[in-house]
Amino acid sequence: MKKIAVIITTPPFSNLTVTALNYIETALNTGVEIIGVFFYQDAVLNASSHIRLANDEYQTTQQWLKLHNKYQLPLHLCVTAAEKRGLTDCNSVQLIANSFTISGLGELVELNNKADTVVQF
Amino acid sequence: MINIANKSLAILNSKAPYGTTAGKDALDIALIFGSFEQDVSLFFQGDGVWQLINSQDGEIISVRDYLKTFSAFEFYDIENIYVNKTSLTERNLTNNFHIKEVQVLSQSEFSKKLTSHQTVLRF
Amino acid sequence: MTTLHLVRQSAFNTNDFAQCIEIINDNDAIVLLDDGCYNLHHPLINNVINQNVPINVLAQHAVARAISIDESLFLQVSMNDLVSLTCNHDRVITWQ
Repeated sequence: MKKIAVIITTPPFSNLTVTALNYIETALNTGVEIIGVFFYQDAVLNASSHIRLANDEYQTTQQWLKLHNKYQLPLHLCVTAAEKRGLTDCNSVQLIANSFTISGLGELVELNNKADTVVQF
Repeated sequence: MINIANKSLAILNSKAPYGTTAGKDALDIALIFGSFEQDVSLFFQGDGVWQLINSQDGEIISVRDYLKTFSAFEFYDIENIYVNKTSLTERNLTNNFHIKEVQVLSQSEFSKKLTSHQTVLRF
Repeated sequence: MTTLHLVRQSAFNTNDFAQCIEIINDNDAIVLLDDGCYNLHHPLINNVINQNVPINVLAQHAVARAISIDESLFLQVSMNDLVSLTCNHDRVITWQ
């Protein structure tokens, strides 16, 4: 079975991110191995535990959590991009959702080498 | 450190240097891949070609001038830098670049080189 | 060595689709998704049709935008199909 790595660059309130989530869920449901998702640029906002989307909107953050829990999907956050957007866990307030791992761009190197294909969203 | 197969990466730059952070974000990826001794090439198409044009000074408009870092590519073993000739012509630009190692390629050569890489990321 | 091109922006708004067409090869395939579905109404689509490159359209995304798909020219695909397409090509380039 193919191994796919995904790099996401769009924020949680963009419908482009919903497309990425649908793609990943469909892939996982059909037995494709998603070896990891790398969040870069504005996509790091997907990891914010303080983003509040209106109740009648698609709950992107919850969907990431669901996929992480159900499939042990690794969610890697680019630390430089995150800090630039106010996401840091160095103080007493937890800003980054537990399902996300704080990583650097070196993780992208590893994902690229381990995956058969890298898909950018 | 990382000790696995080296899959070639092409970074396709499509944005002008200062209006968005795309160029800088792409550069950061290129430098990391370079420092991990990965095979990485840079491609410039569309408004991305403005990133290579000589005599720019982002500091006038308070952009930290990341374009200057391009001159360090050789230290990261980033040797393959390709620009799309059509994109230059469309913008009435000549081959006046701020780094030396740039190769100007026709549409078909550009496409051929780009798709000789296993992964392509576009910014 | 074939490439799958994911086109996610309208050519009425950005040059992404035009740049994709510049570098597309004969054995490649295109998928129109997200706002890329609007390209079915853009004159550039004829360039791709003339090149005989398969044009897949993510059906849900087109239907949501009230874009009708001419099945004699374009292939309607589901998200399952998109997953298969990304697995069956050597690389994916996303134009967004």
